[in-house]
Amino acid sequence: MAEQLPEAKQRISQALIDAYAELSGDHNPIHVDPEVAARSEFGGTIAHGPMALQPFIVAATTLLAAETLPSGSRFRIRYMSPMRPGDEVGCRLAERDGDVLVAECVKQDGTVVARVDATIPGAGARLEGAS
Amino acid sequence: MSTGAQPGKLSNVPYETLEVGRRFGPYLESVDAALADSLRVEVGSPTPGSVAPPAVFPILFLRALRRSMGGIPAGSILAGQEVYLEKPLPVDGEVSIETWVADKTEKKTRRFVVIEFEIRDGEGDLVGGGTKTIIWPRGAEGGGDG
Repeated sequence: MAEQLPEAKQRISQALIDAYAELSGDHNPIHVDPEVAARSEFGGTIAHGPMALQPFIVAATTLLAAETLPSGSRFRIRYMSPMRPGDEVGCRLAERDGDVLVAECVKQDGTVVARVDATIPGAGARLEGAS
Repeated sequence: MSTGAQPGKLSNVPYETLEVGRRFGPYLESVDAALADSLRVEVGSPTPGSVAPPAVFPILFLRALRRSMGGIPAGSILAGQEVYLEKPLPVDGEVSIETWVADKTEKKTRRFVVIEFEIRDGEGDLVGGGTKTIIWPRGAEGGGDG
């Protein structure tokens, strides 16, 4: 059986986007103002980029059974497609070499919204133990 | 120490005025339980814990960016991000954050600005940091740090 990360999902709703705007202080209209966002290139509100990363972070911490990731962890995210209210984003492992992981954050229709290149100490052994 | 920008305020800093290497901060921010718990699992499902989850780092960066620019740049779009972790960050601690413009480039019709950040705990130890690559707005647009 192919290695996989623990399941983790992030629902996207306007209420959650508004909550993220409150947490971060990023109240840009493309996130929180449906009328202004409708006139943008996106045609409506979109979620803040880091919300796409949430399933990966949750999957990685679940894998390690830890509240956070160990020192020495690093990840690079490339945002590829917007997330809109009504979407649900999950995360799948695309490649692994030891503790170096490539993961894709994917919407319910299969669209990849973000690609994550990560180094997480201990992740490789956990994945080997789980498969 | 700088004063904070008003929550929700947007800024309009022209690309031309961004100086590569110029540092902003340090800005003091609290990592309270409400923030950490809200990002521990799915956003919208608060879960208690004692150590800040990694998702706190992008939030702290956005707060520092807001303060360094006088507001989140109106019309900015997030293209990419890097985060590294050096030390666990306890909940209910205070951190200081510095940001600086690491690079700015123009490619075709887009302007990309890389902003780097560093987060230190109350003892001055580096707990983490990273970069954000932002598609910089060309004027008053309706975008966001997408």
